[in-house]
Amino acid sequence: MAWDFGYTKEEDAYKQKVAAFLDKELTEEIARQNWEDLGLDAEGRAFGKKLYEAGLLGWSWPVEYGGKGLSPIYDFILIDELGKRWSAHVPNDVAYTMVGHTILRRGNDAMKKEFIPRIVRGEIEFGLGYTEPEAGSDLANMKMTAIDQGDTYLINGQKTFNTESHYSDYHWLAAKTDLKASPYKGISLFIVDQRAPGITIRPMITMSGERTNEVFYDDVKVPKNRLVGEVNKGFYYMMEALMSERNYVFTPSRYYPYLNMIIDYAKKTTYQGKPLSEDPMVRQKIAQIAVEIETTQLLSDHARWMEWNHQTMTCEPEITKVVISEMEQRMVDNAMQILDQYCQLEEGSKHVPLKGRIEWEFLHSFMTTIGAGTSEVGRTVIATRGLGLPRG
Amino acid sequence: MDFTYTDDQKMLKEAARRFLAGACPNVEWYLEMEKEEKGYTPALWNGMAELGWMGILFPEEYGGIGGSVLDMVTLMEEMGYAALPGPYFSTVILGGCTILTAGSDAQKQEFLPKIAEGSLRMTLALTEPATTQYNPSLITVKAKAEGDSYVIDGTKLFVPDANVSDWMVVAARTAGKDADRDGISLFLVDTKSPGIGISLLKTVAGDKQCEVVFKKVKVPKANLLGEPGKGFAAIEKTLEIAAVAKCAEMLGGSNKVMELAVAYAKERVQFGKAIGTFQAVQHLCANMKMATEQSIYITYKAAWMIDQGMPEARKFAAVAKTWVSEAYKKVALIGHQIFGGTGYIVEHAMPIYSRRAKAGEYAFGSPNYQREIVARELGL
Repeated sequence: MAWDFGYTKEEDAYKQKVAAFLDKELTEEIARQNWEDLGLDAEGRAFGKKLYEAGLLGWSWPVEYGGKGLSPIYDFILIDELGKRWSAHVPNDVAYTMVGHTILRRGNDAMKKEFIPRIVRGEIEFGLGYTEPEAGSDLANMKMTAIDQGDTYLINGQKTFNTESHYSDYHWLAAKTDLKASPYKGISLFIVDQRAPGITIRPMITMSGERTNEVFYDDVKVPKNRLVGEVNKGFYYMMEALMSERNYVFTPSRYYPYLNMIIDYAKKTTYQGKPLSEDPMVRQKIAQIAVEIETTQLLSDHARWMEWNHQTMTCEPEITKVVISEMEQRMVDNAMQILDQYCQLEEGSKHVPLKGRIEWEFLHSFMTTIGAGTSEVGRTVIATRGLGLPRG
Repeated sequence: MDFTYTDDQKMLKEAARRFLAGACPNVEWYLEMEKEEKGYTPALWNGMAELGWMGILFPEEYGGIGGSVLDMVTLMEEMGYAALPGPYFSTVILGGCTILTAGSDAQKQEFLPKIAEGSLRMTLALTEPATTQYNPSLITVKAKAEGDSYVIDGTKLFVPDANVSDWMVVAARTAGKDADRDGISLFLVDTKSPGIGISLLKTVAGDKQCEVVFKKVKVPKANLLGEPGKGFAAIEKTLEIAAVAKCAEMLGGSNKVMELAVAYAKERVQFGKAIGTFQAVQHLCANMKMATEQSIYITYKAAWMIDQGMPEARKFAAVAKTWVSEAYKKVALIGHQIFGGTGYIVEHAMPIYSRRAKAGEYAFGSPNYQREIVARELGL
């Protein structure tokens, strides 16, 4: 036991292997589909398959389901290497980094056998089905119902901001199974075929061009064996998974490409006969971006380290989440000040610098402090769970 | 990866917490130390020496305990937590480390064991009135060779603890033009040498920073530390360690402020409720927690990189100093906000910490200075 910020020889070897593969196989188009939540289309799925066939998926998953049974650090290395190359997550992100872990923890054997091997092979993707019009930050206030009808549950209601539903194979759905119990004790989780009869998916297009969805359930029948774990424990399972999910989803490494892009821009762009990189103000701004990325990466490393050492995380991944999302906004603001007027130009425009990535990131960054929990909810979690302040 | 202290570091941390809690008893004592010219007591100094802290970074052959930078940082964090006054930092880090890096074996034998046993206090005279920057190439104080000696002329400013130092390492230009990297030499100078004038500055933190004027100060050639004209690298090495050590100190202070403010938020009742139940206050506390967490790991990573001899240590030390300086400042400000009027009173602990946060921010390179180092290391 001693402070150590490096990788073991084995971890480093895996990292090199992943890096070599990605440098060869990860095209900009695939990275963008992934990063910009444009969806997992044929190319993305093919890339997921390649990743598996190259022997790079599943190192942190149990051997009996096709994994290597090693520490989660291997999946974190994979995600970080993807992030460094404009790709925010593995192609089947929700399955691999969120849902799969809850199935492993809470699903029965049959469910594990049915889903985990396909997740490990990168074959299937899930869409998260939590948020509803009346259940945003107050998730427990959801209204969707799942009524026990013997062999099946009958589901009715509406979800919103379900980002992956238009391309995912399954819906990871939270619905009320006990209408009389307190909201926290009456919700269950289900795996629903995303194309099941009675489901209607309608696009919601965001200001940065990403697609998210409204999903309507109209008398959708879901077999009993698709209930995850025990009935009425769904809200608990969601909360139990939350910290770990943040460790996988909020990846500081994905900001290094922006940093490198801006460094390159500052070196190659001249103003009044001198490279921008010689302007002290520009240097300060770029350095500040680097300072924030490096320090945030360490927040993430620490929270993940707690996870793979089975330590109780009270607020550490929440800290990463709040810090990273606010950092992203400061980063893009600094970058835009460096680009000056050119920062307004979007991809495809005449004179656009850096393929319009900065302009896109500006639009995207409005979401980061809201999605997956607002910064305000996050701060309340940090204050109450992390610092023990009394609930109001 | 591992984010844990070694067992020895845990023991060191606990011992330091215990000793310093007794040795630095209350706010009145700190205020007295600030008024007092020396700024520390012999009992405090000797107690720390007995615990072996003075030699934490020196090899055993020089009377030390052969600790790592990580060990030192562990201790320094506790010193910051306790807001320890006195010349520990200047003696061990600024004086001791520079001798360890640049000194001959004879010089190490002469100075380091004395530092380790607590009988010698030192500092480093580096920055100057015209620049106040830590870039060693900006040094204008001159040392001219004359026979067996060098003669030093010029003024150093913001020299910590020169008033209580027995010796100081002085960085002066012996060759080259202004702003050259080469031509900076280091000298071991007895502070009682004729021609040295030391005046204490009045500072926001009440620490002992000095102006040191050299008027034809003769220093024997034998007191040259390292090769003539090659002092730049040694100073940079010391500054790298000093920046990280200062981060650890600020991190400790940050933790202490957060502890005090959160405890207060839990007990202070207004509108019939503990103020910590109000989200406005909770979110301020969360901001302290985030800024402090982010300070911990960057400080320890930079220390680890120095121990590992990694070339990126320079960048990470600068990243750490930038981040932690601004984080501590922010945490101190929030601490005051939570304590309200009561924290504004001079006898309260808050001003001890918020004034030190300001001193720490500028010590060994402000965030602006450090960001320039980061920019250079990024290839800009």
